[in-house]
Order: sequence, then structure tokens, then C-alpha cells
Amino acid sequence: MRHRLVRIRTRVVRISLPLIAAICLSAPAHGDTLHVFAAASLTDAFTEVGKAFEAEHPGVNVEYNFAGSQVLRTQIEQGAKADVFASADRVQGDALEAKELLQASRVFTRNSLVVVTPREDSRVKNLADLARPHRKIVIASPTVPAGRYTAQVLRKMTSSGLFGDDYQNRVQANVVSQEPNVRSVLAKVVLGEADAGFVYRTDAQPAQVRVLTIPDQLNVIAEYPIGVVAGSPSPDLAAAFTAFVEGSVGQSILRKYGFTK
Amino acid sequence: MTPLSLLLPLYILLPLVALLFYIDPRSIVEHLASPLAMKALWLSLKTTVGATLLCVLLGTPIAFALARSSFRGRELVDTLIDLPVTVPPVVAGVSLLLVFGRRGLLGRYLELAGIEIPFTTMAVVMAQVFMASPFFVKAARAGFEAVDTTLEDVAGTLGASSWRVFWTVTVPLARPALIAGTVLAWARSLSEFGATMMFAGNLPGRTQTLTLAVMSAMEVDLDTAVAISALTLVLALGALLLAKRLAAVAPVGV
Repeated sequence: MRHRLVRIRTRVVRISLPLIAAICLSAPAHGDTLHVFAAASLTDAFTEVGKAFEAEHPGVNVEYNFAGSQVLRTQIEQGAKADVFASADRVQGDALEAKELLQASRVFTRNSLVVVTPREDSRVKNLADLARPHRKIVIASPTVPAGRYTAQVLRKMTSSGLFGDDYQNRVQANVVSQEPNVRSVLAKVVLGEADAGFVYRTDAQPAQVRVLTIPDQLNVIAEYPIGVVAGSPSPDLAAAFTAFVEGSVGQSILRKYGFTK
Repeated sequence: MTPLSLLLPLYILLPLVALLFYIDPRSIVEHLASPLAMKALWLSLKTTVGATLLCVLLGTPIAFALARSSFRGRELVDTLIDLPVTVPPVVAGVSLLLVFGRRGLLGRYLELAGIEIPFTTMAVVMAQVFMASPFFVKAARAGFEAVDTTLEDVAGTLGASSWRVFWTVTVPLARPALIAGTVLAWARSLSEFGATMMFAGNLPGRTQTLTLAVMSAMEVDLDTAVAISALTLVLALGALLLAKRLAAVAPVGV
């Protein structure tokens, strides 16, 4: 059954291809396009990885859809055309694998959280300040990985006893917005609208914001899985891309942006 | 009527039908009872009513001026009033931040006075007013223009002050258009998303309106997102039908 469908499809392609070619006559010749759905925190690193991949595979065009991992997962579940999915936590990858929408995803890099504050006139000078009254804090929505990691870090900080009683609740009381992804958390801090925000270490550009590091024992390790989306029209190319990300070129670019293996 | 003419209406209808049939009505009600949806519904009602009132209060004088008087810069004002219709809402939100944000043009002085607008419910209302006001002003202006000015003149010669003429002659005659404009402005406030997200942020109970709740719910549970969407759709459709009906009963000849 499936076989026949494929054959019909091939025939349709064969018949319609000259037609499409005729229509696109004026357009420049283009090869395969790879659709990569990647977590917002991968924006800078993956843009560079994509360019390196395109340079190694002439004619291939890598197109990205960067968003919160949860949004990407929903889009894939609803049938969005994707070849590769790179998530900022295992939850989203595992969920897609359970529905057989993602093939054998592997952790390809790791990240952790920092607190960022505006470069000038900051009202938050250390982690304890986050819990002081009248501070404006933005976090990622608890529905996206960065938001879940933020909650975990706050729990760890509270139970460490280093920051006083009820630290998490006092910080939560200062939260003025739950942004849809880390990038918009960063934007609100860069604009100076928020006194502090929790973002990935890799998002914190010292040129834009001041960075308060969170000690390792209070931090979380965010694991990023990557995999080929089931039903990808070009699974071989998609697999080549994931291998490239895991390979030496991809890994060195990721390291450059602060990711760790 | 050719079949071709039905393509566009069908194109608009299908997604709406899909939304309403994605989950069954009972489950829609169940999902709407969730705290996320209820908080957002209540906040949306509060803010849209506030925003609509502000649109009417601030929009009526300029709508009347545009309909009746010719003044220098009239074209410019007219274009400015229409601008929010064409500006992408996200851009409007960023611009509002650059004016009313902590480091904004006015925001830096407001902060000295202890007033901070971003991330507050007030910011939600302001974003809505920005995006919805043209809908009221355009309708109100058309309504005022359709009023026969000789009736106003007669009232004037009978000794009524211009204030009294406005309230007892102009407004009653333009009422259907004014109400239609009010309803449209309310509906646009309800559907506001981009400017709110940028300017007011997203916090349940404070700035998370129905449309922002759809986005947040979408990340956890598509059914809740669809349920809230369906509710918003029904409200918007109701508003549109009401506005059409009211516009149709305009007593003044057009």
C-alpha cells in the first residue's frame, strides 16, 4: 500500500517537475532546503553552524525556526514541515519520540543558567538582591525549558539556606513577566525594563548585560537533544546535519558560544 | 455569483470551523473553567472595558473635529489616527516601551514621579487603546459626517448652546455609528496581542489577557488553547454582528 503511494507520488513528482521548473525558470537554481526547528537559546550558535554546514554541502540551504522548545514540539505534533529538532530539554524530545515523531535523539550539548542585569543603574547587584522588595524580575514562562530550569535553580537556592527563608517565594513575588522564551527575557533586561532576568549562560553577552553567575552546586545542567523528525522529506541530509552538529566543527562553534559538551 | 467569489469567504470560514470542532463543546467549557482561562477572561473583560471607554473619551473630540472643521494639519492628524491599523502590533509595543519604559522619552520622568507603566495592567490598557482607537474614531467620524448639519443649525437658532446641540442633536443622530464604533474598538482590544506582549509582558492575573493565555496554554495543553480561542472567536463574532446590526439601523440618510 505504502509502496504504491510512494510510486504514485514519484510519478506525480516526475510529471509536475518540468512544470514547476518552467514556472521557476527565472528563479535561480536551488538545491535541497533543510528545515531545522531549534530552541531559541541556540539562535546564535546554530546560525553559525548552519553557515558552516552550507559551506560543506553546496546547494543545501538550512532554514531555521527558532522558538521556545515547547512551541516547536507543538508545531511538529501539528504536522509542521521539519527535518531536524533540537530542543533545550529532554522532556520535549522524549515526548516526540514517544509519539514516534522523532528518531533516536541524542544529547549534543549542555548549558546552564545565569542571572543578567542591565549594564547601568542596576538594582540587583547579587543573587540575594533578587529577593528584595520592589525589584522587577523577568523569567521564562514555566512552560518552556528555561522557565522550568529557573524554578529548579530557585528551589536549590532556597534549600541551600544561603539566601534566607522563603527565598523562592520572595523572588517569585518580584516576577513581573513570564516571557515566551529566553530571548525575550534578555530583551527586557537589555532595554532596562527589568532589573534582572534568568537566562542561559550562552545568552548573556557581556557587551549587553552584566552577568551574575550562579554557583555550580545551585545550578542546573540543561541537556539539549537533537534528532531527525519522522517523515522528514530528506532524512539523509537531516542525519548529516545532526552528525555535523555533533562533529568537531559543530562542537567547536557551540563551545565558542559558551555551550559545554 | 461565481464559485470563484466564494473562495475567500470559505478560506476564512474553514479555520473557524476547524477551531470550533477540534474539541467537543462540553470539553471547551471544562477547559475554560481552568484558573488560567478564568483569570485571563476576567483580566480581558476589565482591560477591554477600560480601553474602550478611553477610546470613546479621547476619540470623540477628534472624530468630531475631523468631521466638522477644517484646520491646519487636518490631513496629518487624519493619517496619524489611522496609523495603528497599519503598524504591526509588535512594533507598536516596542515603541510604547521606548516612550513609557524606564528609559523611555517620558518614562524616565514618570519613574522619578514614582509611576512605572511597563508590566502593569495599565500597560495592557494602553496597548489596547493604541491599537483599537482608529476603529472608534473612523466610525464616529462617519457618523458625525452623516448628521444633517441644518438640524444642528436649527437647534442653534432656537437658542441652544453648541454643547447642548452636540448632546441633544448630534450624538442621538450619530448614535448607531458611535455604538458600532465602540463595539469594534472593544473587539479589537480583545484581540490585542503583540503590543501587549512587548509592552505589558505576560503574568497571569496582571497582564495575561485571553490572547496571551492562548499562547501560554499552547505551550502546555493545546486543548485549553483551542478552548480559549473558541471563546475569543465567539466574542469577536458577536461583537461584529452587533456592530453590523447597529450600523444598519442608522436613522440618518447616508
